[in-house]
Amino acid sequence: MATLLELDSSVYFLEAVQKAAYRFIDRLTVLISQTENKVVCEIEPVPGLKLSLDEVLADFKRELLDQQLRIKIKAETTDVRNLVLAYAFSRSGLQA
Amino acid sequence: MSKFQGLDAYISTTGAYELLPFRFERLEGGEVVLTNAVGEFAFLPQEKLQALVDHQLPPTDSDYAMLRMKHILREPGDEATLELLALKTRTRLSHLANFTNLHLFVVSLRCDHSCQYCQVSRQSEDKAAFDMTRETADKSLDIVFRSPNQAIKIEFQGGEPLLNFPLIQYVVEKAEQRNVAEQRNLQFVITTTLSLATDDILGYCRDHSIILSSSLDGPEDLHNKNRPRPGRDSYARFVDGLNRARDIVGYDAVSALMTTSPASIARVKDIIDEYVRLGFNGIFLRHLSPYGFALKTKSYQAYNTEQWLKFFKEGLDYIIELNKAGIPFIEHYSNILLTKMLTSTDPGFVDLSNPSGAGITAVVFNYDGEVYASDESRMLKEMGDASFRLGNVHENSYEEIFTAEGLLTALEESFTLSVPMCTDCAFEPWCGADPVFHHGMYGDMLGRKPESEFCKRTTGVAKYLLEIMKKDQEAKELFMRWVNPC
Repeated sequence: MATLLELDSSVYFLEAVQKAAYRFIDRLTVLISQTENKVVCEIEPVPGLKLSLDEVLADFKRELLDQQLRIKIKAETTDVRNLVLAYAFSRSGLQA
Repeated sequence: MSKFQGLDAYISTTGAYELLPFRFERLEGGEVVLTNAVGEFAFLPQEKLQALVDHQLPPTDSDYAMLRMKHILREPGDEATLELLALKTRTRLSHLANFTNLHLFVVSLRCDHSCQYCQVSRQSEDKAAFDMTRETADKSLDIVFRSPNQAIKIEFQGGEPLLNFPLIQYVVEKAEQRNVAEQRNLQFVITTTLSLATDDILGYCRDHSIILSSSLDGPEDLHNKNRPRPGRDSYARFVDGLNRARDIVGYDAVSALMTTSPASIARVKDIIDEYVRLGFNGIFLRHLSPYGFALKTKSYQAYNTEQWLKFFKEGLDYIIELNKAGIPFIEHYSNILLTKMLTSTDPGFVDLSNPSGAGITAVVFNYDGEVYASDESRMLKEMGDASFRLGNVHENSYEEIFTAEGLLTALEESFTLSVPMCTDCAFEPWCGADPVFHHGMYGDMLGRKPESEFCKRTTGVAKYLLEIMKKDQEAKELFMRWVNPC
C-alpha cells in the first residue's frame, strides 16, 4: 500500500520534489504527479528497507525543505556564479 | 585615544547582504556544513541556515563575520570577494590546461607473485606474450612527448616490471635523450614489490633518479598471506629490498602502498605499526579495487564500505594519536581530501578529479600497445570490457587517442556539476567523477549516487574529517601541517 504525500506547489517546486526523491532512491520508490496546485508523491519503501518507513518519511520531508532551500540559494546566486567563472577565465584565452 | 577604530565601526549598519554561491549538507548533532564556490567550508547551527537564506542573519550574529570571510555572503562594496573567488577558482582548475602528467608503462604482465586480489598479473614464462617490446615503447614515447605538460612522469608497472628491466632501461635512456631538447621536468617511478631488486638494478635507479613505489600490506604474516610467491618469502624479500634500496637509491626514494584485503580489515593498528617500525612517514589506507581477480575470488565482496570506513576511521584515529605522541605520520587519502578542503590546490588524484582524471591526469600504455584511460580501465579490459580503450600506439595518432569516443563520453557524462545529486552536494568540490568505477560496478558512467559505494566512501571520509576538525583543534592544526608541508 503506497503512502500519499500531497504538497502545496506554491511552497514546494516540482524540481525540489524530484531532487529529494532522487536522493532517497536507495530507500524509497517515489512516483510524482502534479495537479493544478499540488505535487503528489506516491511513496513505497524499497524492499529490504532497514529503517522504519515512518523514520524514512520524516527524513524525506526534511529533505524536501532542504531541496527547496537549495533552489532558492541557486536562483539568487546564479548571476554571481557566472560572473566569478567568467572573471576567473577572462585572461586565459579559452573563451569562445 | 586609539589610532584604530573599534570592531563595531566595521559592522554593517544596513544589515543588507548578498548570498554568494554555496551548498550545504546536514551533519549529525544539529549542524550543517556549508561549502563555498571553491570548496572552503563553514559550520553553522541548522536554525541559522534558514535565517541566512532569508537575509535575516544580523551583522551582530556570532557567525556573520565568519560567513563573510568564507565568501558565503558579501556586503555591498565587497569587491575583493569576487576577485578572490575568481583567483581561487582559477588556481583550483589551473592543472587542467596542463593536460596529462602521469604516463604508465605496463612493461610486463608477468609476475613472481600470485596475489588473490591482483587485477592483471600472469604466471608465465613466455616473455614474448606478455612483455612490452622496444617498438611499442618507442611509439608510446612519441605520444608521451606530445603532452603539453611541462612535468612528465613515467611510471613503470606490471605484473612485476623488474622482470623486463632491460626495457625499463631502454625507455629511461630514450626519454632522457629526447629530454635534452624537450627540457621537461622528467620523473621516473618503478612500481615493484622489490623482490627482484638486485644491487645493480638499484644502482641504475640511483644513477637515473628513479623513484621506487613498493607494496607493504602489514606485518609479516599478513603481508605473506596477501602476497603469495614461491618460497612464501615476500615480506623478507621486501624488507631486504627496502633496506638496500634506501642505502643505494636514497632513504626517501622508496615509498610503499598497501592494499586492504579481507584479512587486513581487523588489523589496522598492526599495519600502521609496521609502517612506523620500518621508518615510513605515512600510509595510504586504500580500499580494494573491484576489478580482476578481486572480483573473481570474491575478495571485493568480503568487506563492504561500512566495514572499510570503520577500518579507516580506527586507523586515522590511531595516526592522530601517534602524531600527538610526537611521531610524525600522515594518512595519504585524508591528505588528498584535506588539501582540497583547506587549500586552493588540486592534488590531481585520478579517482578524486572532476572532470574525471581518466586520460587527462593519467594515461596507460599496455604491454601490447593498447592505450587506456587509466589503470582501472586496463583492468576492466582484462575482464573483457574495452569501454575505456582509447586506441593502440601502432595504429592510432595522438589526436585519435585523446579524442577517442571512449574518453570524451566518459569525461562528459560523468562531469559532477551536471550529475544528479552531485550538482547540489556540498562535498562535490572535494570529490571526483570516477566513470570507470561506476561503469565497472553499475554498468553506467554515473551510477545512482545514493547507491554508489564510491559516494558512500568519499562522503563517509569527508564527514569524518569534518567531525574531527570540529571537535579537536589540535588535530585540525595537524591537518593544516599535512596540507602545507615545508
